Amino acid sequence: MKRLVSGNEAIFLGAVRAGAHYFAGYPISPTSEILQQAALYAEEEPGFRFLQAEDEIAAAIATISASLAGAKSFTATSGPGFSLMQEAIGWGHVIEAPCVFVNSMRVGPSTGMPTQPAQSDLLQIKAGSAGDYYPIAFYPNSVKESFDLTVTAFNAAEQSLSPVILLTDAFLSHLFEIVDLEEIRVEAIPRSKEPLGKGTRLFTGISHDKMGNTRTSHPETYREWLGEIKDRHQQAAEKYPLYEYLPCSGSETLLIAFGITSRVLLSLKDRFSLFRPIRIFPILEKELKEMTRSYRHVLVVEGSDGQYAGWVEWAIGRRVLKVSCLGGGFKLQWIRSQIEEQLKGAGG
Amino acid sequence: MDHSYKELLKMKRFPHTWCPGCGIGAVMKNVAMVLAELGWNYQNTAVVSGIGCSGRMAGYMNFDALHTPHGRPLTSAEAIKTVRPDLHVIVLSGDGDLASIGGNHLLHTSRRNPDITVFCNDNEIYGLTGGQAGPTTPRGTKTITSPRGESYLPLHLGRLLTGQAPYFYARTSVYHLNHFKDCIREALHWKGFSFVDIISDCIELNGRRLGFKTAHQMFKWFNERFHVVEGVREYLKEDELGIARMGIEEAPKPEEKPAAIPDVSGADLKCFTLEELQSYDGTGGKPIYIVYKGMVYDLSSSRLFQGEKRMRCHVAGKDLTKDMDIAPHGEDLVLKFPLAGKLMQAG
Repeated sequence: MKRLVSGNEAIFLGAVRAGAHYFAGYPISPTSEILQQAALYAEEEPGFRFLQAEDEIAAAIATISASLAGAKSFTATSGPGFSLMQEAIGWGHVIEAPCVFVNSMRVGPSTGMPTQPAQSDLLQIKAGSAGDYYPIAFYPNSVKESFDLTVTAFNAAEQSLSPVILLTDAFLSHLFEIVDLEEIRVEAIPRSKEPLGKGTRLFTGISHDKMGNTRTSHPETYREWLGEIKDRHQQAAEKYPLYEYLPCSGSETLLIAFGITSRVLLSLKDRFSLFRPIRIFPILEKELKEMTRSYRHVLVVEGSDGQYAGWVEWAIGRRVLKVSCLGGGFKLQWIRSQIEEQLKGAGG
Repeated sequence: MDHSYKELLKMKRFPHTWCPGCGIGAVMKNVAMVLAELGWNYQNTAVVSGIGCSGRMAGYMNFDALHTPHGRPLTSAEAIKTVRPDLHVIVLSGDGDLASIGGNHLLHTSRRNPDITVFCNDNEIYGLTGGQAGPTTPRGTKTITSPRGESYLPLHLGRLLTGQAPYFYARTSVYHLNHFKDCIREALHWKGFSFVDIISDCIELNGRRLGFKTAHQMFKWFNERFHVVEGVREYLKEDELGIARMGIEEAPKPEEKPAAIPDVSGADLKCFTLEELQSYDGTGGKPIYIVYKGMVYDLSSSRLFQGEKRMRCHVAGKDLTKDMDIAPHGEDLVLKFPLAGKLMQAG
């Protein structure tokens, strides 16, 4: 049945479709609706548990612990809340707890502009926790995609045994579109981990060997363990090389954009080729290299000051142009004038 | 002596990491002894700990154990208990972890009153990091971060946790072993959030600076500072060891939701006619059935339908397929409920 669905609702229903049975969260714009919906749903559905935590730290810890206890679990927040969750995310990677963290990005730093969309948490989600880890992150650009990528995120979490991040933005969270959710068929992968009460395992953040013995001064054990995690994440991520490519014949410029920006740039699809990465991390290195090869200019349009552009440069090994839509300003006219200016500066 | 508690410890990982004379060993052993006595083991119990010397206890317990980030064991334990009411959940941690960095979680988890038991190794110091002053360090104590003596008053966990019923707060010490074991037993039996504050020693990083030569001297000092009070109190004075609890009758029982997820199977479905269905409206002890897209769902477990023939605009015992068009929710909500049968097609 077709009906109006908001981005936040689609994420929640996607999680339910994926088999989520636990939600913990703390109110924050623009994801409070997910929290509200979880509260209502927990009233209705006896198998679904919900916690409105005292802060995001608790919400993140509860999400990860619930996952170990045996429930598919998720939480939703925005940039400032995500900063508080970082400690738990690092822990979630080490103890191998599959779960999903939704980050609806708004303008930062700090409280910033709470109702305005941004895309400036990319570096935070990539490396905000202590140490080396390899998070997987997806970023939809429509309500329908918010639904099926939520299921995909849960699947990737089960395959990588780690917290997977679903990015969205203040615009997409509150965007209403007509969707038929019943028509969307994404297979949900069942739980891949034995719940608590089945053994004598130690889930610890301390470096440990396969037997669970803590090893705090053995570089070899650490390298072996980290290498294994890295491989597993890479393999899980490779199952989802998601992107969208709209070539425009005769264009010498490739515009790279994702999320809300890619929606705005659709109006330029007759003038420029467009590339939209859906899997943000690990970065689509091979795909980016291939796609950008034939273009004279590569221009990244994003809602941050070059956070993704830096990664593109790293992946393709040459400089790219960038347009930074800061402070929640994503007006097409302004973006177009900035693109023209950049291309003129680059002699295009 | 009964040695069955040893099965609850990972003896092959011994010798443990703690200093000789440390009180944590006594805490772990006595908790394990009472658990063995109650028949709690890895199949029905989960152990959660925080960071610090006391946080290492999880690693020696023969259970599925979580070693959480600093200060977070209470939230973790609560989430586990929420998802798995069939498991007993115990927390083994220290005063710095629970009362300082985890102070906010202590306030709110105790307020939400999940059925978990917390054992706090209260040694009045940060031991693992080298002997810094903690939230429970008595005023005037010299530590490496309070070289002229701690200038602030300590946090009285007893007063904090007995401020709001229901509560269970026990204070005991590693020296008063029989009392200690009684407290563990009582706390594990308590339905709801129970907290055992165990006065313990850190001889190497606190005791020696205070002038004690051996752990035994510190134990003697506990005996001088504290005395055991019998019976159940409403609160404990600073020098009393005992149990303060309130609200066993009036305490709202921690929510016991079924652990299992509703089982939906489509085999051998019973057929209903619309006339038959009308009587299944929850009255007279009958279940609540509704029809959606030709299938009959059992909504008896729905809280919104509970004891009522109707839930807002939806009426029990009817075909609600069309109601979905105006409902604020999707059909997933209905599909989650157990199938009771299917609707007999007319003709």
